[in-house]
Amino acid sequence: MKQHPLCTDTEHGPTVMDLPIPAGLKQEWATLETRRRFLGRTGKVLGWAALASLLGDRWLTGDAHAANAGKQSAVAAEQELKLPNFAPKAKRAIYLFMSGGPPQIDLLDYKPNLAALYDKDIPESVRGAQQLTGMTSGQARFPIAPSHWAFKRYGQSGAWVSDLLPYTGRIVDDLAIVKSTNTEAINHEPAIMLMNTGNMNAGKPCLGSWLAYGLGSMNDNLPTFMVLQTKLNEKENNQPVSSRLWSSGFLSSEYAGVGLRSSGDMVLYLSDPNGVDRDVRRKMLDAVNTINHQTYEELGDPETNARIAQYEMAYRMQTSVPELADMSKEPQSTWDLYGPDAKQPGTFAYNCLMARRMAERGVRFTQVYKRGWDVHGNVTGLLPMLCQETDRACYALVTDLKQRGLLDDTLVVWAGEFGRTVYSQGGLTKDNYGRDHHPRCYTTWMAGGGVRLGITYGETDEYSYNVVKDPVTVRDFNATLLHCLGIDHNKLTYKFQGLDQKLTGPVPASVVPGLLA
Amino acid sequence: MKTLQDLLVLADKLLPKSRAIRRIWTASLVLSLALVLLPWLFKLNGTQHADWQQFLGRFHPLAVHIPIGLIVLVPVLEIAGKFRPALREAAGFVLGLSFFSCLGTLALGYLLAYGSGDTGSGVTRHMWGGIALTICVLVCAMARPWWSSGSVPKVYPALLTCMLLVLLWAAHEGGSLTHGSNYLTAYMPAPLKHVFMLGGTPGAGSFYAKHINPILDTNCVSCHGQSKTKGGLRLDSYEQLMKGGKDGQVIVAGKPDTSLLLERVTLPADHKQFMPAEGKPPLRPEEIAWIRAWVQQGASPSATTLAGISIEEPKDLPLQPVGDYSGFMPEIRQMQQGQGAKLLQVSKNPADGLTLNTVDISGSFGDAQLAQFQKFAPYIVEADLGRTAVTNASFDTLARFTHLRALHLEGTGVTGDGLAKLVPLSQLTYLNLSGTKVTEASVAPLGAMKNLHHIYLYNTPARPAPPAEPTPTIARNAP
Repeated sequence: MKQHPLCTDTEHGPTVMDLPIPAGLKQEWATLETRRRFLGRTGKVLGWAALASLLGDRWLTGDAHAANAGKQSAVAAEQELKLPNFAPKAKRAIYLFMSGGPPQIDLLDYKPNLAALYDKDIPESVRGAQQLTGMTSGQARFPIAPSHWAFKRYGQSGAWVSDLLPYTGRIVDDLAIVKSTNTEAINHEPAIMLMNTGNMNAGKPCLGSWLAYGLGSMNDNLPTFMVLQTKLNEKENNQPVSSRLWSSGFLSSEYAGVGLRSSGDMVLYLSDPNGVDRDVRRKMLDAVNTINHQTYEELGDPETNARIAQYEMAYRMQTSVPELADMSKEPQSTWDLYGPDAKQPGTFAYNCLMARRMAERGVRFTQVYKRGWDVHGNVTGLLPMLCQETDRACYALVTDLKQRGLLDDTLVVWAGEFGRTVYSQGGLTKDNYGRDHHPRCYTTWMAGGGVRLGITYGETDEYSYNVVKDPVTVRDFNATLLHCLGIDHNKLTYKFQGLDQKLTGPVPASVVPGLLA
Repeated sequence: MKTLQDLLVLADKLLPKSRAIRRIWTASLVLSLALVLLPWLFKLNGTQHADWQQFLGRFHPLAVHIPIGLIVLVPVLEIAGKFRPALREAAGFVLGLSFFSCLGTLALGYLLAYGSGDTGSGVTRHMWGGIALTICVLVCAMARPWWSSGSVPKVYPALLTCMLLVLLWAAHEGGSLTHGSNYLTAYMPAPLKHVFMLGGTPGAGSFYAKHINPILDTNCVSCHGQSKTKGGLRLDSYEQLMKGGKDGQVIVAGKPDTSLLLERVTLPADHKQFMPAEGKPPLRPEEIAWIRAWVQQGASPSATTLAGISIEEPKDLPLQPVGDYSGFMPEIRQMQQGQGAKLLQVSKNPADGLTLNTVDISGSFGDAQLAQFQKFAPYIVEADLGRTAVTNASFDTLARFTHLRALHLEGTGVTGDGLAKLVPLSQLTYLNLSGTKVTEASVAPLGAMKNLHHIYLYNTPARPAPPAEPTPTIARNAP
């Protein structure tokens, strides 16, 4: 009987750990013999026994053999795991997340016919039986609010882009604009969880964690997955963005995103305190690691190893992060491209520049969050502000990656968690309107490695309410992103709670071939 | 006169002396005759027979390896027996064993073909190969005593050679049945293909030839081809495709919804009639879309484009498979465990090659460090040397990276002298020289590299940074 370190009962006599047996066996013993594991295993054994009597032993032995073989090749599999299923087009990705739900009708989904329908009610048949949010379900009318802004065609592809996004207009030939993205959630938290983790409920790993788990690191000195938050603009309607969105869920916490702060030290407590130099830090870490190794050998909890790895990563980050953040060597052309905002840490432009620097340094996945797109009211006041903050930076990032030769193997994604309604929330005037959440269609774009560029994919009806051609669900969207990175979404799985869990969930998802180069 | 005498002497030597031996010879002749008559007794005419026959027959692909192994062993033992006589004693036994395993395998193979109703010239050839081989082995076994007694020294070695040739042919025919007849040649290097004259299909420009035929070829022809013709349907040529099979036409021009082929490939994957059958990978959605559009628009053999379908030609070369580096894997793994420069596999498919990753220690990775990777040179498809300390001296080393597809030299100290050494790297499609001191003159020789589609010279003397574009203004009001 193994004694738990916290148990105060004294127990004498040799334990399994004292036996002259291979360390591997002790390890297994340490992992297995907790009360919870014992009970869990008992339940499984009884289940199997029942199944065996139902099916005859033929079925079971086959399975047992497979399981045995699986165990033996586990070590090899561990090595094999961190490789793409096929040669990837993109080695890394930058995800620009527009939290709050950008209004597609005012940005990229051009509906010229709506101007004539100003203040008319949206037909019942279009809306169907859709459940609305509590914010507009009580409205007596659903008056159509045409976009306040004019649109122009840009580039060889001739994509229509709002006058709010003049910079984005310049890069439309490098984008695949997806007008038919649609989601099942209508409120922020479930929708943003679904977008990031493939499930509306918290607790599943997010895209970045799956990539870190499935592809591993390209740079041992920086985290595989980094998250950059944009400084709040208090005038905007900001929805909270929490660390659940870059959580590794049931995967090891090594794969969680490392959030960088938008002001002050990028990583808290990273620099050594006064009087502690790098040697002292090293000695301290060695000592802590020794203790952690002992704990691991005793309890066999893989999270202990994750902790050791994280301490080591933090130690290396003490030199790699300052180098990453030091932009003094950026040429003037960079500042000309990204604009003056990029000089201020925490702005969206700064974060885009930082994302490019991370891409250069082999960070596998960078996610940049920009909040404030939740324009329930005062669209004409808020939207120009939001576009001013983001438009040029998006353009600069894509252009910068392209000129530096990084866009060939970097995937860039621009997306929010849902779109916004064509009808006005609250009062509709000639000068202003509001838009509520709209899950049935919204516009996103991708650029870079693996993506077919200069296309517009999918169509919405004349109200930008329903998808009429080539719908792209969130799981299809995520499957496509994984495909660009060389991953078959059905093969990147992790066994948890009895399921082969995957980013796209249990409902079949498919890669969208029309989006691929 | 002399020759006649010789022949008589030989005949006297060969004719069986004892009655027992005569009986064995007779039995062998009868058995051979029976084997030859087998295809007339049980006709392979495309009709399916009992399921148990197929069930047993499906062990043929497994069992077939036993006689192959044994037969190949016989000449090995005979030759090795020269030096160790004991081995030669074993050869006779192995030969006998070969014969009986041949007989068993032949029976299983016949059950497979007979039970499943497989026909086609490939099946026929493979069947005759099997029968011929069995008879060959039998004759060898019968002729061996003459040789071992030393009376007739040449007949048995000649027979053995025949047997091996027949084995080679029969086995190849069998392999073509399971894997498809182009299995061996699909990845043959182009110059070799030219030697064997495996050219493109006629009318190579049409949509059918470029897109439809390859889909059928990859997914269907192994069962619906010349070698194996399930359901009387062949899909290996346009004429055969339009002709259809036992169940009638499979393609109705202009009517995708009544075309049986489209119906079968779009059934639910667990449906009994779903094609490709037996767990072979289903067609990809875009492939189905192409076939549908092609049928919809008349299923023409010559049309080159279809309305609404644009298939981009791959601009980049497909990744040339690299050689086998499994011997280096322990070393590569050890490198991956530590920190510093390391080789990473591009994907789970080893033939996709290795990437040289230096980002962890870019500052201290110089020409000398790069030279240490020379032994891995033919397996490296991408070298990520961005911001390292490599200089022009590395071009000599890099010129040996024959499979190099992407080369990152951005932000390094190279100035371009010697860039011309990279010209022989025929597979290089991507070269990044951004932020280096290369000049227009030094990159000029690269113009000769016809696959080098992506060359980046941002922020170099060869291509100075572009001036900032004028700032557009964001509209605030509707026009």
